[in-house]
Amino acid sequence: MLIFSLRRLNLFLFTIILLTLLSFSLSFLFPGNQLVNISGQVNATDEQLAIIGESYNQGGSLISQYFAYLSHILSGDMGLSMSSQTPIFNEILIHLPATIELTLVALIIAMAFGIPLGFIAAIKHRSKVDDTVLTISMLGYSIPVFWLGLLVILIFSIQLGWFPSSGQISLLFEIEHVTGLLLIDIMLSDDPFKWQAFQNALAHLVLPAVVVALAPATIFIRLARTAMMQVLESHYIKAASAKGLSFRQIIYRHAIRNAMVNVIRDVGLQFANLVTLAMVTEVIFSWPGIGRWLIESIYQRDFTAIQGGLLVLSSYIFIVHILTDFIYAGLNPIARGKKYGS
Amino acid sequence: MNLLDVRNLSIELLTNNKPILAVDKVSLTIKEGEVRGLVGESGSGKSLLAQAIMGVLDEKWHVDADRFHWRGNDLMRLSAEERKSIISNDVAMIFQEPMACLDPTATIGEQLEEAVDQQQFEGFFWKKRQQRKLEAINLLHKVGIKNHIQCLKSYPHQLTEALCQRVMIAMALAKKPLLLIADEPTAAMESTNQGQIFRLLASLNQLKNMSILLISHDLENVTHWTNTITVMYSGQFVEAGTTDQIFKQPFHPYTRALIDSSPTANIHIPTKSRLMTLPGSIPVLQHLPIGCRLGPRCPRAQRECVNSPKAKNHQGHQVSCHFSLKGSY
Repeated sequence: MLIFSLRRLNLFLFTIILLTLLSFSLSFLFPGNQLVNISGQVNATDEQLAIIGESYNQGGSLISQYFAYLSHILSGDMGLSMSSQTPIFNEILIHLPATIELTLVALIIAMAFGIPLGFIAAIKHRSKVDDTVLTISMLGYSIPVFWLGLLVILIFSIQLGWFPSSGQISLLFEIEHVTGLLLIDIMLSDDPFKWQAFQNALAHLVLPAVVVALAPATIFIRLARTAMMQVLESHYIKAASAKGLSFRQIIYRHAIRNAMVNVIRDVGLQFANLVTLAMVTEVIFSWPGIGRWLIESIYQRDFTAIQGGLLVLSSYIFIVHILTDFIYAGLNPIARGKKYGS
Repeated sequence: MNLLDVRNLSIELLTNNKPILAVDKVSLTIKEGEVRGLVGESGSGKSLLAQAIMGVLDEKWHVDADRFHWRGNDLMRLSAEERKSIISNDVAMIFQEPMACLDPTATIGEQLEEAVDQQQFEGFFWKKRQQRKLEAINLLHKVGIKNHIQCLKSYPHQLTEALCQRVMIAMALAKKPLLLIADEPTAAMESTNQGQIFRLLASLNQLKNMSILLISHDLENVTHWTNTITVMYSGQFVEAGTTDQIFKQPFHPYTRALIDSSPTANIHIPTKSRLMTLPGSIPVLQHLPIGCRLGPRCPRAQRECVNSPKAKNHQGHQVSCHFSLKGSY
């Protein structure tokens, strides 16, 4: 297990290095002065630019410039936003937690509905239940997320008025920024109205999370269904049945764990897809997350923000990927002992 | 007394078109304490027959029999679930590829304890847990695994095939079965390991009076370890009798060919000469010949062979052929 963790850490390190290389090279590829692109100092005088150029090692070779850029990033300096002239790092600290909250809740919803439905479809293979679940998953997968978002707002916010249509929480509540994750911050605060605030935040979260979760949930249904069908065909299920276990015992003790192993491995892959959906959904629901911020930066040609946002968002996806790998290894004893990380 | 008495058991594969008769009216009897071999080429329906007896075939298959008696009880009258609960209480099965038959995500200990019969224990649940653990260790000792501590906490992929097969046998023993069905227990194993597994099965047969149905295509081992043999070909019953009868005086042309094709049974043939074989190969399920399925390959086939022959009994030696070799001895 130690070797497994070291391998994952190693992989993480190298991926981060590649990502920083990419974002460093972006500053050359974007139009305009490279030093301005990387630091975001649009209004600086020539003297100021010279000092900044010194700190980014402009005189040296490309490699020394890259290392200077790395040291800037490691000290938390990602430059200033070209449009608002505020430090990118602070902007990210404000916006990233909202996205983490939305994507994690959406992932949990997608898994909690998708995987059991897939299992049920596989167990009741070739029946009406199976057909219904497959039809639903086909429909859900084909609906584009921007259209679904608007439709959901129209029905549940405007016509029925059950849930608010935009934002993260009502302006009435003032929550202190501690971890950045709003639901946790509310629980930590000692506001007398914190339960109302919590309910309000949950009501704001429901619609965007469900919209983000729909497409991944349908993928999980298919993954879980195939995994479970494969497991039910396998020899050890037949052997367990010959041992005299009932069908229920076989499902709960052997089939679910083995099928989960195969599903969990693909959850990490689906997460990147989910974050992309979340970016679009954040725009529709005015969710103050990093996706919306990044899309706005792209409109405003805010090159420094694009570099920083890209770096942070892809690191986040990668960290989740590695976490699912650990869960996979925890469930599957064969993966733990594997000699070569795959 | 007959432990298991199956008469004219047929297994159909339900397809979109018309069902395919994979096993065609096979009869099988097993007496208490005997080791019966079930022999045939790959694809002759041996494993299918065993799984049908255990009741573990899925809904793609349809099983029908004229008679299915277990220790004198007629099981055909019971529903599928009742039949399965009676059978799985008294009959255990071990499979080929033992590693694939153990759950890869659970330790040997968990799987072994799961197989142990709950009802023999008394007391509160923590006492039961202790007893179950002891019972699991006992079972491992019975199959000759001494290092039980390490074995119990290993996962299947950490053990060798032979050890896995021992664990499978230990699980089979947990229910104290009267009959053990061993479906090619030593396929893909080294010969030393094969010997160990067969010796273990033989000792269980002698010490615990456990009947064994040994399914194999390895004639050499079958002659060595069995009392009686049933031969199958392409899902049809061919011949049954004691091991001596089958090997000294086979009545069926197929059995004759089977024995002639084995090098150990023909030590007298000169070196580097070809072994006798039948022309062609076993028919696929989609294109089964009518009547006796050996027909197209049989050296003695005549016009009558398009009708299925009836099994004839000659003092316990049953054969299903119109032109048996009985007269030629």
